[in-house]
Amino acid sequence: MSGFETYLMSRMAREDSHTLEGYKAQGGYATLERVLKDMQPSEVTEIVKASGLRGRGGAGFPTGLKWTFMPDASKDPRDRYLAINGDESEPGTCKDRVILDEDPHGLIEGVLMACYAMGCAASYIYIRGEYRHQYRRTEAAIAEARAAGLIGKNILGSGFDCEIYMHMGAGAYICGEETGMMESLEGKRGHPRPKPPFPAGFGLWGQPTTVNNVETIFNVPFIVERGAEWHRSMGTEKSPGNILVGISGNVKRPGVYEAPLGISAKTLLESPDFAGGLHDGRKLKAWFTGGSSTGMVPGSTIDTPMDHDGMQSIGAMLGTAAMIMIDDSQCVVRAMEVVARFYDHESCGQCSQCREGTQWLHQIFRRIEQGKGLPQDVDMLTAIASGMAPGKTICALSDAAAIPANQMVKHFRAELEEHIQSGGCRINHTGNFARGASAPTEVHA
Amino acid sequence: MTKITLNGREIEVDASKPLIAACEENGVDVPRYCYHPGLSPEGSCRICQVEVSEGGRPPRVVVSCRTPITEGMVVNTETPEAHETRRQCLEFLLKNHPLDCPICDKAGECTLQDYSFAEGQTEGKTEEPRRKLEKRMDLGDVIVLDQERCILCTRCVRYQEEVTKKPELTNAGLASNTYITTFGERPLTGNYQGNLADICPVGALTLKQFRFQARVWNLEKESSICGECSRGCSISAEVLRRNEVKRIRPLFDADVNKWWMCDTGRFAFEHFNDAERLTGGLVASGDNLLVTTTKDALARAAEVLGTGGKAAVVGSAWLSQEEAAALAALAGALGTKAVFVSPEANELKDDLLHTGDPAPNRRGLEELGLKAVSAADAAAAVAGAELAVLAGERVLAGLADENLGTAKLVTFDTGPCLAAGVEVCLPAPFHIEKVGTWLNVDGLERNLTVARKAPAGVEPLDRSLNTLHAALAGAGAQA
Repeated sequence: MSGFETYLMSRMAREDSHTLEGYKAQGGYATLERVLKDMQPSEVTEIVKASGLRGRGGAGFPTGLKWTFMPDASKDPRDRYLAINGDESEPGTCKDRVILDEDPHGLIEGVLMACYAMGCAASYIYIRGEYRHQYRRTEAAIAEARAAGLIGKNILGSGFDCEIYMHMGAGAYICGEETGMMESLEGKRGHPRPKPPFPAGFGLWGQPTTVNNVETIFNVPFIVERGAEWHRSMGTEKSPGNILVGISGNVKRPGVYEAPLGISAKTLLESPDFAGGLHDGRKLKAWFTGGSSTGMVPGSTIDTPMDHDGMQSIGAMLGTAAMIMIDDSQCVVRAMEVVARFYDHESCGQCSQCREGTQWLHQIFRRIEQGKGLPQDVDMLTAIASGMAPGKTICALSDAAAIPANQMVKHFRAELEEHIQSGGCRINHTGNFARGASAPTEVHA
Repeated sequence: MTKITLNGREIEVDASKPLIAACEENGVDVPRYCYHPGLSPEGSCRICQVEVSEGGRPPRVVVSCRTPITEGMVVNTETPEAHETRRQCLEFLLKNHPLDCPICDKAGECTLQDYSFAEGQTEGKTEEPRRKLEKRMDLGDVIVLDQERCILCTRCVRYQEEVTKKPELTNAGLASNTYITTFGERPLTGNYQGNLADICPVGALTLKQFRFQARVWNLEKESSICGECSRGCSISAEVLRRNEVKRIRPLFDADVNKWWMCDTGRFAFEHFNDAERLTGGLVASGDNLLVTTTKDALARAAEVLGTGGKAAVVGSAWLSQEEAAALAALAGALGTKAVFVSPEANELKDDLLHTGDPAPNRRGLEELGLKAVSAADAAAAVAGAELAVLAGERVLAGLADENLGTAKLVTFDTGPCLAAGVEVCLPAPFHIEKVGTWLNVDGLERNLTVARKAPAGVEPLDRSLNTLHAALAGAGAQA
């Protein structure tokens, strides 16, 4: 790859990149040693703040600023925790998986630095239930690091104590919501908590807690090692740095790629360094910009910078930068049915709007796709979505289900109406695109 | 205290309470399902949305049960946006609700009905079949669960966790397949299950005992006091056709029972509906008891007691202060002191409400100087006398197993006396039929009111006793 510096995936080429030996051979833990020896915790926070690093979990909140929300330790002596969100469940997203698989020590070093900066004596890494291999890799890395005196009491002789625990989810999407994840860590049902109180004041077991995404924390050692200025030299002014982009769908080379924020989505799709374009002879019909929650936008918007502002300009979101490409051989209504089914399945069931609304949206999209749509259904979709969002429920899952529905009506109303009028889908879906509640075959004849 | 503006009115409220409580205290009723003042706020039903503006910022719609009160907050519960948000929320709640109101015991006191009506959510737009779940899940001796009607407010789950400290209920499943159940589908336990039917805002948790018994709008509801233990919980006695008590429910009393009552008290009302109720006088004639009017029987009682001789006066623990004072005065005229039969403590004592002492007015009676005696001691006193007055609800039941000897008996109770020495039986009201005062275990004074009118012929007991006392004094003055 040319034209920009890469660092996030720089170590992963080595066969033993996931081991302590492989990590140390590439300079691992040297920065941690320097931090513990020569730097004050506040200096670490300052560097992260100055670097402009934004959270990679989807919302893009400035990481350094988030860290400063933790109460002042001199006034609030309670134990404090760092919780790492590795419940990567957003459809299309698979960036944390690469980190956990190939470079778990990079994450551990980042965790230790963040804990040092915020004065956390313990950290929890929450990994989604389906990531068994990644869990074992990370678990093994933690064991190695502990044996080498990098985790536990008096790390590297600095007097700094830090424990890292792992927790495996049981496969619920909602446990990726930060407060749902905390409930799950506490051994309860993963029901998100109403905010306020915010995690920084009342988090895990009621103690101050910061929740960061795996990729966010993975960025920290690079930034601390090379400085805030270096980080700001990449990406854009408001969204600096590189990001792991997941590209899936009807592309030649789906996968996870490292790219600077602000790079054109068109480059990511078409460059042979990245996805290598759509299959020959196909045209881009629609794409999800950053996971299913961000909704589908028309293919014509592909030449937009992949950063928070750029995505906002086309009415979408950067999310987790998980792009799903849908070409003209596919049906967007069918794609939307799958997304709606996902939210119907994954709502935690607490809030009325979300519990019933996700089901309702799914039912209507399914009906339209099956050719049983009614003329009033399209407006009904908008009405349901407006009852579900924005900000009408405890967490953002309701919004995440409502946004794609709204985007669908906004950009692809004609397709919906065509389905309703012509009594079903023109496209013959072969392959197992949607399992379970999929359409009966005669509709697709 | 914090100053806020509520619907254009400037008021001072306690900022430690949720906004919805401040609204309620100031006469503004905000719809609620998951919120209950006796439980921790959950914030999941999302119906209690009101419009709030803080620090001059543009107003936004928030849930009033989880929004902290801040100084200068401007709250408006009636804006079109707030109404629309609540209406939309109801539309979602009604999507899978079976709408079986015609056969639902909750109909008439169901807040899903009330708020749907208030917010104008009258039309269902869903084309899909409604959720099918367990319609009659048996949760033990007290409660039946209808999972289809449930709107998942989780009041019941929190009640079991926080009030009874028996976390037996839970929500299971995910998303639109969430439902309420018990762990392992085991029956509920404990003496406080009935409250679940009260706090359930819809007809999901209903009382087995009340199932299909009456339409709630046909019930006349009046306040009274529970007579099953010395706690003296405030209750609502609910009467069908001015006659039959169909249901007892707790009424809020901050110092006594809060929102709750035990199942022992809740279901102890069958005896109020006793067909063998004494509604007139009975006087002995040879071996028979002849029916007569209350007035004539009272005159006969005065004659019996006027004959003189050693007397015993025994009351029941259900006497009101007023009745006990009248009984004590009568005892004085008969040259003795009134005592009351003290029922034995039972096994029902718990940490929540039940005191284990079935005497509801023990504290009051003792303050008036009536001595608590066991049934055996009371019977011995009666047997050792020539005349005896037995007065009060359940006094005869308390002495039923005892030998009362051959003393001439004048009794005032809800039923007739069948002992050997009975001369006159007079009717007395149940405690839900009388005005009076009880002192509970903590010395708190609570008023009895007429929740059900006593049948014709049943005079207030204190009045009967005073009449009898006056007749004796008159006879004494003439003699």
